[in-house]
Amino acid sequence: MSPAKPTRQIMLDGLWRDNPIFRQVLGICSTLAVTNVVLNTLVMCVSLTLVTAMSCMTVSLLRDWTPKNIRMMVQTLVIAFYVIIVDLMLKAYWPQMSRNLGPFVGLIITNCIIMGRCEAFAGANPMRPAFIDGLFSGMGYSFVLLAISVFRELFGMGSLLGYNMPYFSTAYWDNWIIMVMPPGAFFALASIIWLCRSIKMRETKS
Amino acid sequence: MNAVGAEVWLAMVTCFAAIFTQNILLTTFLGMCPFTSVSREVKTASGLGGAVIFVMTCTTLLNWLAYRYVLVPLELEFFRFILFIIIIAAFVQFVEMVIDRYSPKLYQSLGIFLPLITVNCAILGASLFMVIREYSFIVTIGWGFGAGVGWFLAIIAMAGIRQRLNESRIPEGLRGPGITLIIAGLMALAFIGFTGVLN
Amino acid sequence: MKDKPYYPIIYMFVITAFFSSILIGLAQLTRHRVEVNEQLGFERAVVQAFPEIQYQDNRQIHDIFTERFEKDDRIGAYRYKKDGQLAGYAVPFEGQGFWDKIRGIIGIAADCQTIRGVAFYEQKETPGLGARIDEDEFRRQFIDKKIEYSDEPIGIVPAARTLDDNKVHAVTGATQTSIRLEALMNRDIRAWLDAMQAKEITP
Repeated sequence: MSPAKPTRQIMLDGLWRDNPIFRQVLGICSTLAVTNVVLNTLVMCVSLTLVTAMSCMTVSLLRDWTPKNIRMMVQTLVIAFYVIIVDLMLKAYWPQMSRNLGPFVGLIITNCIIMGRCEAFAGANPMRPAFIDGLFSGMGYSFVLLAISVFRELFGMGSLLGYNMPYFSTAYWDNWIIMVMPPGAFFALASIIWLCRSIKMRETKS
Repeated sequence: MNAVGAEVWLAMVTCFAAIFTQNILLTTFLGMCPFTSVSREVKTASGLGGAVIFVMTCTTLLNWLAYRYVLVPLELEFFRFILFIIIIAAFVQFVEMVIDRYSPKLYQSLGIFLPLITVNCAILGASLFMVIREYSFIVTIGWGFGAGVGWFLAIIAMAGIRQRLNESRIPEGLRGPGITLIIAGLMALAFIGFTGVLN
Repeated sequence: MKDKPYYPIIYMFVITAFFSSILIGLAQLTRHRVEVNEQLGFERAVVQAFPEIQYQDNRQIHDIFTERFEKDDRIGAYRYKKDGQLAGYAVPFEGQGFWDKIRGIIGIAADCQTIRGVAFYEQKETPGLGARIDEDEFRRQFIDKKIEYSDEPIGIVPAARTLDDNKVHAVTGATQTSIRLEALMNRDIRAWLDAMQAKEITP
């Protein structure tokens, strides 16, 4: 990867071209389980994006001092550090949300995307681009998961962020119970990947 | 029924639930990354699945002990994320060394999957669930083993189905991960169907 | 310095010590708040199990709880006092739901029969389905029902069935949550009734 990548391109890559979910379905483990409600997903995505950006920045800051052979350990430590901060903050200031998310906040540590960005980009680039790269990778990931959760909450419960939506919460609409159950997440994600891949294919053809 | 008997019974129920109705892969989506990439062949899938059962059972127990006897007395519960990962990584490394020395044959079939396991979120997830749900030691045995078996079953079934997919005509954009996810969704539906059995 | 063999060890040590000390500091700062939150969640459920109690904010919940509720270990429940007189019992119940533990409180009047209300302080059932047990619509059904002194003090039955004096309608589509909730509530209410009888505390 060339070190002199312009900021605009870093942003675009993270959001669309290199979006880890479309390319390899990576990193969805920690979040997919909470996508049946938009609010939970939103909090989870914000946490993940912040952790990614901050970890990338810290890894980049430490890159000149970190010995190559223990860099994975250092990265894990840095990521875990930020995840624990998020966990502690949620527990103290938003206990209800902390209970809703349960173990999934902790599972951000094993999210492949963060480790991937630290390893592929932050370890060899200065702090500012590393931060932006982490931020936009996190956002690219978030927008897919948010799309899934909007889909699931609207079709499954007839509401968005807990507010009843017109039409969907009336008698004209039968809630798709399957959407709030786990299989719904698989179907929603598959549809979104299908859609985005098809668009991408058209892009590359033209 | 005495207390231990009740615990053992609870462990068995937890084990059954972990395999079917609360399948760690199909209902909480943990361990998706290796799931989509390794499930192309039944043979590799069963190798990885076997390693997961073994590692998951042992590490949840180790983590239970570490949590109960180290972190709780020290009031450092929030350190569990780091400690669990270290224990899992160390355990995997240790097992790798042992089977490399004593059973080269087993190493060839299982060994290559062990490094993959350290980064498998299902392993860490099983330990975190165990803490949040406040399982006792005996129940943890059932949980760790059941969660591993559940993951094994899911990946084997998926690999079997995917081998047949090679011949089918699938829309271009849906090939690869897309169709895998739809199949996983159908499997999840079937597994949730076991719910009624638990009563 | 950097090419010395012991450098990675020292480096790892320093960096771990640095991050850990920040975390321990943060945890100390938030510990009190976390404990208060947990206790408050429980106290709120106890107070909500008696819908007649009015309150405005969290501080008031805590005051009401300490003032009017008193733990009685013999029966595993809280006595509720109103104007100095016994006005009911807050009976905790807990057990495995469909996905995870369900914990809650049922408020029962001093006659040991009339249900005052039900509140939950922990449940992780499916949002939009099982989780609706925590909504007013479901909880309000319990008010003024009478528990029965049998193996099934209360009942949660499908919406199509007619209701007896001790039964409420289940959330549609959440069969598993309802079955389990019914079982765990019945078990703990029954245990409380037995304890009451054994101690001959009430009629």
